[in-house]
Formats: sequence, C-alpha cells, structure tokens
Amino acid sequence: MVPLSWYLILAFMLIGLGGYGMMVKRNLIRILIGAEIMGNGVNIALVAMSLYSPVFTFTGQGLIILVISVAAAHTALALVLMLMYNRRYDTVDLGQPIQKEEP
Amino acid sequence: MQGFEGAFEQVEFLLIAGIVLVLAYLALEHKEIVYAAFFFGFMASFVAGFFLLLEAPFIAGMQIAVYTGGISALIIFAVLLLPRAQDSSLETFASKRKRRIGLMVAAIVAALSGILALLFPWAESFDETFVIISNDLNELALWLWANNGIYVQMIALIMVTSLVGAIALLKMDKAEQIGSIRGDFGIEAEPTIEEDESPVDEEPPAEEPEEVDA
Repeated sequence: MVPLSWYLILAFMLIGLGGYGMMVKRNLIRILIGAEIMGNGVNIALVAMSLYSPVFTFTGQGLIILVISVAAAHTALALVLMLMYNRRYDTVDLGQPIQKEEP
Repeated sequence: MQGFEGAFEQVEFLLIAGIVLVLAYLALEHKEIVYAAFFFGFMASFVAGFFLLLEAPFIAGMQIAVYTGGISALIIFAVLLLPRAQDSSLETFASKRKRRIGLMVAAIVAALSGILALLFPWAESFDETFVIISNDLNELALWLWANNGIYVQMIALIMVTSLVGAIALLKMDKAEQIGSIRGDFGIEAEPTIEEDESPVDEEPPAEEPEEVDA
C-alpha cells in the first residue's frame, strides 16, 4: 500500500516545478506548460485525498473530471491570447519590456 | 501475499514518480520547444498511471484523452503557429535578479507544500487503506449525472462560453486589422473612395454662353 503522504509529496513537487516554470520562464508556451504541470499535481492530490478519506465519496473524482474539462478550455483560451499577444507585440517573450505605441 | 503486492505497488509508484518528475523537468528545460511539448504529452500519459494506482480508471482514460490527446496537441499547434516561440534566445533569462526571485518564490511554494504534506497529521484524519472501487463506474456516473448533474451542465456552459469568447477575441482582432466594415446598408455604410473622387479624365463642363441683352 502506498502511503497518502507519498502522493502528496509528489503532487507538491509537481506544483513546485510548475511554479518554477511559471515564475522563471520568458517564453509564453513554457509558462503554459508550467501551468499544466501544476494542474496535474493538483489532480493527483485531489484523487489521492478523495480515495484515502475515511468516508469515501466520488467528490474527488467528480471534481477531477470537471477540472480536466476546464483545463482543456483554458488551454484553448491561452492559445488564443498567445496568438493575440504575438500579433500585437510581434514577440512571445514576456520578459521583454513592451513599448507603448506612439499616438 | 498482501505484503508482496504492497511492496510491488510502492515500487511501481516510485518508478512512475521518477519518470514523471524527469519528464516534467525536461518539458520545462529542454532547449527545443517542440520536444518540450512532446515531453509534456509523455508526462501526462504517465500521470494517468497514478490514477490507475488510485483505483480511478475512468479518470486515467480521461487524462490520456484530454491531456495527452488534446492539450499537448494544442501546445504543438501553438508552437507551429508561433514560429517566434522556437527562438532559443528566449531560453536565456532576462536578468539574474529576476531568475533568482523566481527560483526563490518557487522554492518557497514547494517548501511550504512539502511541510504541509509531511507535518500535517494526515494519518489521523485519513485512512491508511482504501476501498477497492475499480468496478464502481456506475456509481461514479450516478454521482456525477443524477446527483450533481446541474453542476456538470453549468461547467459545460462555462466551457462553451470560454471557447466562444476565444473565437470572438480572434475575430475581433482580425476585424481591427481589416479596418472599418463597409456595406451597402445601415450605419455601416460608408462612401467608397471612388465615389468621392471626381473623375480626372473628364473635361470640365463647358460654360454656357451668356445671353447678351439686345
């Protein structure tokens, strides 16, 4: 039997890794990948806690189904925002200061 | 026999966890963004292994279908649509100070989370064993659709709204580039340039001879 704390440690390591990607990276796509890695960590923690809880319900699994569906939608939205950012500023670099357009 | 199965599960867990962590690191640090997207897809597939270990086969299938099949494909499309994303100079950090701050914040988040996982008395509030529920997909479906169907429909509505909003954003941006919309009717109608300009080639109309009074 795998202890619950193992799952939680793994989940929090994934959350930390995703947070590192979101904080440090400049490329918009890397930042999106970091956010998805964080989401995976959260999913693992939710399912594990749902399964090990004393009174088992399907709350955890139901939540995960909804979270995965919403993740797909927000990835599509993030892709559109990236395309718009690229069109407007001609770069996908978030670290570069954005020059305001002259009136 | 039970102990052997438990040890086997733990070995499985450690193996999959190692693979997932390495793939997640590669997805963030590999120089080629296309390979990084592929590594992310592989990582999502291996995460499904945890859901199988946690007696949630439906979630595992959904994870593979959505994350590996959908989201990683979307990320690869994003890489293809944005050639600038493949610029390797983006992988260098803007400044050392920013990198240090980012690393520090990420380390704080990871450390706090780890402390929470290790020190919080999970064992007192949670069972060390769980019920085998692999074959309870019917109950999951009942829970999801019969008991909480309205929430599922609400989430579906939110998702549709977000997708329609995404498409509308793209269209609006495109419309801004095209300029004002010209049509024949309504307030959108604008005179075209050809209509405003007077023809150049035509001679000016001849003046009528003035009548001289006798």
